[in-house]
Amino acid sequence: MTSSPRKSEFVSPRTVALYGTLTALTAAITMATFVPFAPTKGYFNIGDSMVFFSAITFGLRTGAICGGIGSAAADILLGSGYFAPYTLVAKGLEGLVSGAVSRRKIDKLWRTALAIGCGGACMVATYFFSELLILNVGFGAAALEAVGNTIQVIVGGTIGALLSYYVQKSYPTIARQ
Amino acid sequence: MTGFVDFYTEADTFLHRMDPRVKIVAVLLLSLLAFILTNLLYLLVLLAFIMLLVYLSRATFSRTMFALKFVLRLMVLIVVLWPLFDRSGTPVLASLGPISISEPAIWRGIASAVRVGCLASVWYILMFTTSQRDLVRALVKLGLRFDFGLALSISLRFFPTFLATIESITDAQRARGLDLERRGLIKRSRNYVAVLVPAVVSALKTADTLSLALESRAYGARPDRTYLRQIRMRPSDYVAFAGVVAMLAIPAVARFVFLVDI
Repeated sequence: MTSSPRKSEFVSPRTVALYGTLTALTAAITMATFVPFAPTKGYFNIGDSMVFFSAITFGLRTGAICGGIGSAAADILLGSGYFAPYTLVAKGLEGLVSGAVSRRKIDKLWRTALAIGCGGACMVATYFFSELLILNVGFGAAALEAVGNTIQVIVGGTIGALLSYYVQKSYPTIARQ
Repeated sequence: MTGFVDFYTEADTFLHRMDPRVKIVAVLLLSLLAFILTNLLYLLVLLAFIMLLVYLSRATFSRTMFALKFVLRLMVLIVVLWPLFDRSGTPVLASLGPISISEPAIWRGIASAVRVGCLASVWYILMFTTSQRDLVRALVKLGLRFDFGLALSISLRFFPTFLATIESITDAQRARGLDLERRGLIKRSRNYVAVLVPAVVSALKTADTLSLALESRAYGARPDRTYLRQIRMRPSDYVAFAGVVAMLAIPAVARFVFLVDI
């Protein structure tokens, strides 16, 4: 290994534990709510709700890491392994962007809606272009998938926002994470 | 529940013994190779080679079929939809209004489907033959920071636990009358909130306990960490590595330096 990080450079034990559990939860929820539906990737799920939840509640870094890695792991375990690299980027970007937007100082409802909209748009666009340009599945299949992904963002975003609200209410100490 | 918690199949083949770092690099290089090849015949050869490796990894038939379930569907979809959107080339076989189907477009569609098949199946060689612990260790050796490696290990460890938690919360909420079988996708997803809130809170409580456990075991007390089992490159690993590099390099040179159509 190259230069070892010093102690102060480590993320705190609390953060390591949080990243680990949220990543596992994202993967678990994606798998538990799996419905075979979307044409190319092969399934519909509300895993996006966990990406939005992590991003809105804990910020962009947690959103990007837990969303990206958790969703990619679920892809591999559900049998769509070839999608994992694109999922890593698409869901990571989704978490990153919605986390960044949800820290803006504007009205709370607008902020959340904007965060979900921007993050979701990034995810749908990443999938569409990587399918079209890298995987080269053809316009038809990529467009079909984009429709499925948009529905997934709307459903996942609504649930993620609700989840963030209810969890903060029922577990207030979350704020100090 | 659909899917596997871990694809690893215990066996003692040369693929299992190979250094996980070599396997990770090999998967990446073989994926690149699928992008370099454009000829249907060579792509089929690559697919056959990957299938041979999957067979040699001694994965059970049901696992292999599960891994390829979605990609087979996608391949059919590509073959069917591709000619509709690709109108270039002659001879045109059939045309109806704005849609025309040409023969080269059909072959391009099939080649693209085979390429996606290669990209999909090559992953499973790694997943079938490498335990999750070795995978994380290899990633750390390849330069991933060990605290992130630890987070990854934690998530792989807790993933089955959370699946079981979600299942038991679902059962408990169903016993209280929660309807998750409703037809509508939106309504059904909305009902999942009642399952997800307790699941998230229970996960966050686990994270709290876990951070105490990490601290009590002196996480971060040393700048580096030690492992009980080290992974080392053996001569056979170097041979395998050289073989995979050659497999990528020869077609790449042929295509980009000598401009051979492959």
